Amino acid sequence: MGAVAAYGGVLADSLARAGSTALVLAPVAGVGVLLLVVALVHGGWGLGASLWLGGATYVAFVVHIEHRVDATAPLVAVLLLFCAELAAWSLNERWPIRADATLAWRRGGAIAALAFAGLVAAGLVVALSAVPPDHGLAWTVAGAAAAVGAAGTGIWVARR
Amino acid sequence: MTGLTSSRLTVYASLAAGGLVAGLAFGRVEPVALAAPFLLALLAAVVGREPEVSVRLSLDRDRALEGDEVQATIELSSPRTVERFELLLPLPPELTAEGGTARALLLRAGRERTVELKLRCERWGAFSIGPLLVRGRDVLGLRSWEGSAGDAHSLRVYPREETLRSLVAPLETQVFAGNQVSRVRGEGIEFADLREWQPGDRIRRVNWRATALRGSLWVNEQYPERNTDVVLFLDTFAEVRSEGRSTNDRAVRAAATLAHGYLERKDRVGLVGFGGFLSWLVPESGARQLYAIVDTLLASDIVHSYALRGVDVLPPRTLPPKALVLAITPLLDERTAAALLDLRARGYDLIVVEVSPLELLEPDPESSTQLAHRLWRLSREALRWRYEQVGVPVVTWREGVPLAAPLEEVNAFRHLARPA
Repeated sequence: MGAVAAYGGVLADSLARAGSTALVLAPVAGVGVLLLVVALVHGGWGLGASLWLGGATYVAFVVHIEHRVDATAPLVAVLLLFCAELAAWSLNERWPIRADATLAWRRGGAIAALAFAGLVAAGLVVALSAVPPDHGLAWTVAGAAAAVGAAGTGIWVARR
Repeated sequence: MTGLTSSRLTVYASLAAGGLVAGLAFGRVEPVALAAPFLLALLAAVVGREPEVSVRLSLDRDRALEGDEVQATIELSSPRTVERFELLLPLPPELTAEGGTARALLLRAGRERTVELKLRCERWGAFSIGPLLVRGRDVLGLRSWEGSAGDAHSLRVYPREETLRSLVAPLETQVFAGNQVSRVRGEGIEFADLREWQPGDRIRRVNWRATALRGSLWVNEQYPERNTDVVLFLDTFAEVRSEGRSTNDRAVRAAATLAHGYLERKDRVGLVGFGGFLSWLVPESGARQLYAIVDTLLASDIVHSYALRGVDVLPPRTLPPKALVLAITPLLDERTAAALLDLRARGYDLIVVEVSPLELLEPDPESSTQLAHRLWRLSREALRWRYEQVGVPVVTWREGVPLAAPLEEVNAFRHLARPA
């Protein structure tokens, strides 16, 4: 339920402010919700696509509707992460395994800590966007390097 | 240990990369902000290290009886904290554990944890317990390391024995001392008869009362106590199994009970496992033989075979002359029926204990299989009649009835029939 609520928060934020474009975004958001429900019912299948659709809905909203920097972006990012982590936790808890009670507290604490750190990091990114535009090239290079780094890290982790 | 990554990690990496690329493509900061928490999660996963956990599995004993509980103790320790350590002790279907054998726990650095599992032995058999399947995971479950740990331990679960008040006495005895009163006369305790003194008779055997009455020396004759040879003939060609119950389980239980009973009387007991897989033990006496028989019984399983097999394939010493052959069979296979009739024809003292499969095969009253079921029962009746025609007692051991009941039936049959 927490995962669905977090996902709903992401979509509600985008669709509520999208005006007439909401009609275009709504089907995509609907498919995302459907995939999330399927993932929760059928052991995780479709969770990745659902996250992608949630993120894409928000990005489409900010690119086409919002002309200023959206201050809610860190919150949306954290909600999306919350959705993924809570869904994964829910799926893991279905295994018939007797676990220490402390494990749940520690995982909950770790998710909260990660969310908080993510909120700070995303907020920092948004705040840094206020840097004067004449520094654009440096930021572009930094962004490209970060993208390559993220993709490379993902590939490295997947291969281990 | 084998390192594994969660599929979530790939999704996070793709979301992070996608957000950064979208930020560049659209010239917006929001997609980059969207990617930031996922990048952090990736970093959290990357810093995770393979756990170094020492695992020790032990059992409180290596032999148990059916229905007993055996305690398995798993001792764990790690030099580094493992946020989530999962373990699973794979068990054969014959062993169960309350609450399952999977556990997930937190292993703190340098602190030993002990997990105790109570294994219930539901059925006899020889089992190998361990090694454990283990998995260490980071706190978010993004990365894990799997492997097996701990040594394998053998556990022998012996069949629980039935209570017997008396055993079937063999018609013939052997030459060694035992607890069975022989039918031939000789040196013993049990009084048999009086006869006139003959040269060579000992003075202590003179019956002075009879001598005084008759005016000449008369001596007592006794029945000596001798041992007997018993061969347990276990039919393992076929069985009927339903809902965890089977005819073979009961047959093994009966064989173990009878072996124990006869060996306690100082008789020599042998075993023939007659089926797809042939096994035998030459008759011997003593506790060692009991363990040998039970160990052989633990390995006796139904092995389907189409090979024609008779008693000729058995080594001659397996079936000594004058031995009592106790056949424990569900009477399902023609080959066993033929072999037993062959044994009778060779003059063996044969008793057939039929482990009834009828309770396990209740036909649906509405179904057309009922007719087939009736025909099958008739064919079993005909087979029993064939045995009785050649003087072999056939007793049926039904489920829920003590083994003593059919054995008493045999005693009654032999008392009335007075077989030669």
